[in-house]
Parts: sequence; C-alpha cells; structure tokens
Amino acid sequence: MRNLLRALVARHAAFVALSGLFLAAFQYLICAAVASVDVGGALAKLLESLPPMLQSMLSATLFGGFSVHGLLAFGWNHPIAQALGAAVAIVLATGAVAGEAETGAVELLLSQPLSRGRYFLAQAGFAFVALALLSLAGIGGTLVGQRVFQVEPFATAALVRLGWAYLLLQCAWFGITLLFSAFGREGGRVASAGFLVALASYIVQVIGQFWERAAFLAPYTLQHYFQPQDILVKGAGIAQPVAVLLGVALVTTAVAWWRFRRRDLP
Amino acid sequence: MPALEVSNLAKRYGPVHALRGVSFALEPGEIFGDLGPNGAGKTTTLRIAVGLVRADAGAVRLLGEPAGRARARERIGYLPGELRLWDELSGRALLDHFARCRPSRPPLLRERLLEAFGFAQSDLDRRVKFLSHGTRRKLGLVLAMQHDPDLLLLDEPTAGLDPLVQRAFREVVLERARAGRTVLLSSHVLSEVEAVCGRVAILRAGELLALESIEGLRARMLRRASVRFRGPAPEGLARLPGVERAEVSRSEATLWVRGDVNPLLGEVARAGVEQFIFPEPQLEDIFLAYYQGGRGAADAGARP
Repeated sequence: MRNLLRALVARHAAFVALSGLFLAAFQYLICAAVASVDVGGALAKLLESLPPMLQSMLSATLFGGFSVHGLLAFGWNHPIAQALGAAVAIVLATGAVAGEAETGAVELLLSQPLSRGRYFLAQAGFAFVALALLSLAGIGGTLVGQRVFQVEPFATAALVRLGWAYLLLQCAWFGITLLFSAFGREGGRVASAGFLVALASYIVQVIGQFWERAAFLAPYTLQHYFQPQDILVKGAGIAQPVAVLLGVALVTTAVAWWRFRRRDLP
Repeated sequence: MPALEVSNLAKRYGPVHALRGVSFALEPGEIFGDLGPNGAGKTTTLRIAVGLVRADAGAVRLLGEPAGRARARERIGYLPGELRLWDELSGRALLDHFARCRPSRPPLLRERLLEAFGFAQSDLDRRVKFLSHGTRRKLGLVLAMQHDPDLLLLDEPTAGLDPLVQRAFREVVLERARAGRTVLLSSHVLSEVEAVCGRVAILRAGELLALESIEGLRARMLRRASVRFRGPAPEGLARLPGVERAEVSRSEATLWVRGDVNPLLGEVARAGVEQFIFPEPQLEDIFLAYYQGGRGAADAGARP
C-alpha cells in the first residue's frame, strides 16, 4: 500500500500543491483587500440601492454584517474557495476507480499482489491527506494575511473549526464522486456528475438563503453545513456540520467500497 | 499440483455468455496456448484468474491458491491485452514501482529482459507517453516477467512487436519453461503458439472446443492427400483404414485421411506414384476447422 501511496504522490503532488498554493494566495489576498480597501463601506454603498429587506439579509448572511471578520469569512464561502476544494476532491475521486478503469491502468495495478481493500484504502487515505493539506494551506493563507496586514486575528479554535468544516465538506464531495466513480467506467462522466452535484448544491443553497420560499431546500445541500460566518464571526460550534458532512462522506465512501469490491475491472 | 486450474468457469455479461463451463489445467513447466477469435472468452478467463473479473460459476486456482486473493498474485506475472500504463511516469519509475509490489521477489530478470528485447537505456528514462506502442509493449513484457514469476499469464504478448522482438520473446518463453516456469499464452498469432506451446485450448463464444496437444490435434485432423498414379488409380482406396473419403478419376485421387497414414502409403506405393502431395496440417487449418464448423468440425471433416 505504501508503494501505491508513493505512486499517488508522484502523480498528484503537483496538482494538489498548486491548488493549495492557490487557495492560500486567495485567502491572503482577501486579507489584503479587507485591510487596504474599505470593502465593507463600498459594499454598504452598493447595497443602499437595494430594498431594505434584501440589504439586511445580504449583509447578515453573505458578509457577516460587513465586519472585517465577516468579510474575511466570506473569503471561505467565496465560489473560488468552494470550487478549488471541490475540484481537488472530484479529480481524486474520479481517478480512484473510473479514471483508472478508463485508462486501463487499474488492470495492471490490481493484477499485482495488492488487494482491492488496500487499493481503495490507499486512494481514500491519500485523498483525505491531500484535502487536509488543502484546508491547512487555506488556513495558512488567512493566518499569514492577517499577520502581514495587521488584521485582528481569528480565535485559534475558530480557525481550527473552520479548517475541519472545510475539510469535511470536501470529503463529502470526494465521497459522492467516489460513489459515481465506483459505478462508472468513464472518468469524464464521473467528474461531470460530481461537478454538477456540487454546482447544483451551491446554487440551491444560495437560492435557499435569499428566497424565503426556497429556504426549506437549503438543509438538503452540503454547503448549508459549511457556514464560515457562523464559525468565524459568531463562534458557532460545528457539531451538526461535522455529523452531516462526515456522515455523507462515510456513507458514500462505504457504498462506493461495497460496489468496488464486487465490480468487474476494468 | 497444477500451476493453473480452471474449473467449470462461467461468466455472462448481460445476455452475452463470455464463458460457458470452461475447464483446463496447466502443469508446471508447461507452455499452454489459449486460442480463439475476439469474444471467445480468452481475456475474460485471464481476468478472472488475476481477480479482476468475478466468475458467475466455477473457480480458478493459481499455484494452489484461489484466484482473487492478493497472495495468489505474488508469484504470477500478467500482461494485459490492452496494456495501459501511467503516462506521466518514466519507464524506469514504472519498473521500480511494480518491482516494489513484490518485495519477496526482486526483479532479477530485468536486465536480461531489457537486453533480450533490445530496450535502449535512454527509453527507460523517458516518460511513458513519449514511448512508441511497440516500446510500451516491450515495457509491459518486462513488467510481467522481471520478477521471474512461477506462472506467466500473457494476453496477446507480441501484438505490435517487430519480428526480431517476437523471436526474442519466444526464446525467453522457452527459456523460462525450461527453468520450470509455467506460461499461459493467449494469442491470435497461430505461428507463435505453434512454435512454443505444447498444448492448446481452443475457445469459441465462451465454449471450450478443444483441449489437446498440438500433435494430438494434428493427428485427429482430417488431412487431404493428392495422388497422381503412373497408371490407373487402384480400386478400393476409399476402403483403406484411415481413409474417410476418396475422389478418384482415372490416374488421380484425392483422399481425406485421419490418423495412421501407413495403410494408404503402402497401397499407393504398390500402385506406383508419379506425385504425392500430403501437406502437414498447420495449426491454422485446425483452428479454422473449429471456427468454421464448431466442435465436431475438425473430427467430421472440415475443409474437405
């Protein structure tokens, strides 16, 4: 298994490292923007043109009330941060089964004295570590940015909770895509399915946030359980998000494993 | 203990029967040919043997171990028919990766194989995606054999290789068999099978049509003899032992013979022969006989 992990590192290290670097840079730039420009004031002026009800809803839910911490928290809810994490999760999950089956490499790999269990564990373990590093890179970007631009730092515990929540959200995307991957034979289709589910979830969650009549849909999306504003600004706990996101990740990965150990390859 | 034991193997892909109760066994040191056209079930048999595909019924044992267990694959070497490798790694990195999969069996044969297949050292340092099809195939052969496996399962091993490498491959396979290793060679290349295999299984549409030595198949094959006599053809040719059919016209006769040809030769010699054509049946003839007529075709007189 160590051998396979080594091969996975060799193949994916550059992609994971670049993604982590990009997320760190993005969070760093959010700190720079918040510290150097009156983003809150600019947004407040922009929102003045909107109806009062929408103003309060937007400022509270999206930007955490235009506070510095609220705006920094938005950096974690930004589509770029969301897309980066999901992209890494989807790419790794797609490659784990369907991608390797499509290229045919899995045929040679699993004809070696390597059990399917160890193969699967190596793929899932590598993805978990890669997603954890991505999450850490983002947190690192925020920490360095706050220090460099002398922004009041977040409480360490809040940042740790945020890191866990972000990691578990990506693990859930990994699990869902891994499920498709375990049933699929074509990497492109599996990746597209994973991406569409993530996108649909994001859109539904945003609609649910701003349109009261669709609010009942929000809890059915994964992003609903990742609320950086609540964690960083209000100091909320993450017991429920952990339960839901971890549950989704574990259940989907378990079903993917059930399918993988029974399916014909490639 | 057979090196490979396939018992009543059955597999369906939806409505298609890929294998229907196929059984055969390979003795240690044997080179065995698995023949059949596309869709015959050759690749499915190999994939079940290495645990990639689950059989609907039946079982495979590799060197005494049930197929599917990782431990069973410790002592085998497998070359897939459609070889795909990780393109972004170099040939050397790939060889090292697969060598590490079997810590108990170091790649002692690597250098010998690289030399035999004319593998340039510079090719080893290039990424796989920059290698030609033939070079990838050679790399696949080295991957399958570098750890000197006790049982080699090779699916279309020489597809895409130039004649020199094909010859080198045959020499290596014969050498490994002399060293006591067992080889299952699934192939369309009949000359290759004929050159190295002692026994063959002929599959068609998932069914085992024949399982026999090549000599045995030849002996059972209905063969055609063309004779031109110096004078009129003798009577009673059709009644000679082994002659199953005869077409006689004045001084010429075409005879279909199976098994011992001595009674025919004796009679023909007594009558005085001007020309006697009796070609050795090629594996291709046998193969085609099976495929044109099914299980009984080779027995019943295919291609008369």
